[in-house]
Amino acid sequence: MFLRILDRLEELLITFLIAAATLIIFVAVAHRYLVGIPFFYPYLFPINLSWAQELCIFMFVWMAKFGAAYGVRTGIHVGVDVLVNKLSPPRRRAMILFGLFCGALFTFVVGSMGAKFVYGLYHTDQVTPDMELPSWIVYLCVPLGSYLMCFRFLQVAVKFSRSGELPHHDETDVDGLDPELAAAEAARLVR
Amino acid sequence: MIPLMIFALLVALMLTGMPISISLGLTVLTFLFFMTDVPIESVALKLFTGIEKFEIMAIPFFILAGNFLTHGGVARRMIEFARTLIGHWAGGLGIAATLAAALFSAVSGSSPATVVAIGSIMLPAMLQVGYPKRFAAGVIVTGGALGNLIPPSIIMVIYAVATSGAVYFGPNGEKVSSASVGQLFMAGMIPGIILAVMLSTTTWYRAWKNNYPRIKKATWGESWHAFRESAWGISLIVVVLGGIYLGWFTPTEAAAMSAVYAFLIEMFIYKDLAWKDVPKVLLASANMSAMILYIVTNAVLFSFLMTSEQIPQQMSAWITGSGINWITFLLVVNLLLLLAGNVMEPSSIVLIMAPILYPIAVKLGIHPVHFGIIIVVNMEIGMCHPPVGLNLYVASGIAKMGITELSIAVLPWLITLLVFLGFITYIPELSLWLPRTLGML
Repeated sequence: MFLRILDRLEELLITFLIAAATLIIFVAVAHRYLVGIPFFYPYLFPINLSWAQELCIFMFVWMAKFGAAYGVRTGIHVGVDVLVNKLSPPRRRAMILFGLFCGALFTFVVGSMGAKFVYGLYHTDQVTPDMELPSWIVYLCVPLGSYLMCFRFLQVAVKFSRSGELPHHDETDVDGLDPELAAAEAARLVR
Repeated sequence: MIPLMIFALLVALMLTGMPISISLGLTVLTFLFFMTDVPIESVALKLFTGIEKFEIMAIPFFILAGNFLTHGGVARRMIEFARTLIGHWAGGLGIAATLAAALFSAVSGSSPATVVAIGSIMLPAMLQVGYPKRFAAGVIVTGGALGNLIPPSIIMVIYAVATSGAVYFGPNGEKVSSASVGQLFMAGMIPGIILAVMLSTTTWYRAWKNNYPRIKKATWGESWHAFRESAWGISLIVVVLGGIYLGWFTPTEAAAMSAVYAFLIEMFIYKDLAWKDVPKVLLASANMSAMILYIVTNAVLFSFLMTSEQIPQQMSAWITGSGINWITFLLVVNLLLLLAGNVMEPSSIVLIMAPILYPIAVKLGIHPVHFGIIIVVNMEIGMCHPPVGLNLYVASGIAKMGITELSIAVLPWLITLLVFLGFITYIPELSLWLPRTLGML
C-alpha cells in the first residue's frame, strides 16, 4: 500500500515537473516577444519573468534525480550486456545481482554525500541568485533522489532474486500503430 | 599508469552489465577514495552542479517534442508525402521509405522508433509490390540513420555539452572555442541531404538494375494534399533551425518551443493525441531524459577526474609528439567509435569519448564543428552495422528475418554509409561550408 503511494507520487512529480518546465519556458519566450507589441506593453511590462530560467533548471534537476529513480524501476538504465548474456544462467544471475548492488552502493554513497552537503548548507544563509530561495531546499533533491534510487535498486534486486525477472524498457514503442492499420495502409499505398 | 588503471576499472565495471552511468560513477568514487588526495568535498559539488546548465535542458525538451511526434499518424503522413512525390520511380517505394524515414527520424529523434514506425507500413507495402524481402529490409534498417544529422538532433546537443567548458589550444597555440548547438545543427544540413541522396541512389540503382516492379504515378492533386498534411510535422525542422539562425531563440528555448509546437499539432491539427495520453507521453519523456541526464551527471564527474589527472592533455601531447597527423587520427577515431557503437548506446559513447578525443582533435587542427559531425555520423552507422546494431534487431523483429541474413541484406546501404563517412571525415567543407556562408562560424 505504502509502496503503491510512493510509486504514484514519484510518477506524478516527474510528470508535473517536465510539463511545468516546458510551459514556463514557453511563456517566458512568448512574453519576451509580446511585450514588444505596443498593445500588450502596458499589461505585460510589469510582469518580471527573469526567474523563469532558474526555476526551469531547478525543476529539471529535480526531475532528473527522481526520474533516475523511476528509471531503475522501468529498466531504462542500460549497460553493456553483450558479455553477460553469454554467461551460463547461474553466473549471469550472480553478475546481474552484483551490478544491482553496485548501483545501490553508489547511490547510497552519493545520497550520503549529498545529505552531508545539504546539512552544511542548512546552517548558512546561502540563497539562489534569481529567486532567492534557500539553497539547501534546492539541493535537497540529491539526497532524496539518490536514497530513493538506492531503494529502487534493492527492490529490483530482491524481485530478480525471487522471480528472475528484470524490468525491461522497450525503445521501439510507437503509439497509435497497430499491425492491422499498418497492413491496411500498406495495401492502400500500392493499389 | 594511473590513466590505464582508470580505464581498466571502467571497462571491467561496464562489462558486468551494470548501467553505464553507475560504472562511470563507481570508477570516480573508487579513484577518489583510494588513489588520490583530491578532497572529496570539491568533487561532491560536481554532483550537484553537473547538470545545472541551461544548454543541457534542450535534451529533455527535444525528447518531449520527439515523443509527441512519435506517433503512427505522423509516420503515415510522411510516407504518403514521400510516396506521392517519388513513388513511381524505379525502386520508388524504397526511396520513399528512405525519405519518409529521414523526415520522421529527424522530428522524432529516435532511430529504432523510426525503423518500427516506417518499417511496419513500408515493409509489407514493398513486399506486396514485389520487391525481394532482403532489399526491402535493407532499406528499412538504414533509413533511420539520417535522423541525427538533420536537426533537431539530441546527439549534437550532447556533443556540444560534452566538449564545452574547457579551454583548449590549436596547433599554433591559438585558443579554440567549442562548437555551439546552433553551429552543429546548421552544419548537419548539407551532410544530411548528401546522405539522403546517396542512400536513395543505392536503392534506385539496385531496383533499376534488377528491374523491380513500379507503382503508378500519383496526381499533382494527391501530392499537394499529402504535402499539406505532412507539412505541419516537417515544419518542426524549420521552426528549430530558423528560430536559432535568426536569433529568435537560444537552442534550449527552440527546444521548448518545438515541444509545445509538437503538442499543439498532435492535439489540435492531427488530432492523433487524446488528453488522456498526455501524461503517458510526459512520463515516458521524463523517464528517457532523466536517464540521459543521469549519465551526463556521472560523465561530468568522470571528465572532471580525467582533467584533474591531466589525461587528455597528456594524450594530446603524446599524439602530437609521435607525429601522427590528422588523417591517421581521424581514421583511428572512426574505427574506435564504430567499435564502441556495437556495445553502447550513442549518448554514453559521446559523453565518455568526446571529452577525451576532442582536445587531441583541436590540437591537430580539426575544426570542433567538423569533429562533431564525424562523431554524429559514426553514432548512426553504429546503429545499423552487425553484429549488434540496435536497428538490425528492431528490423529483424518486423521483417521476421535472422540477424545474419539481415546483415547481408543491409550490406549495400552499409557500404554507402561507410563511403559517406569517408567523405565527411576527409572533406571538412561538407560540414563547414553552410555555417560559414551564413556567418555562424
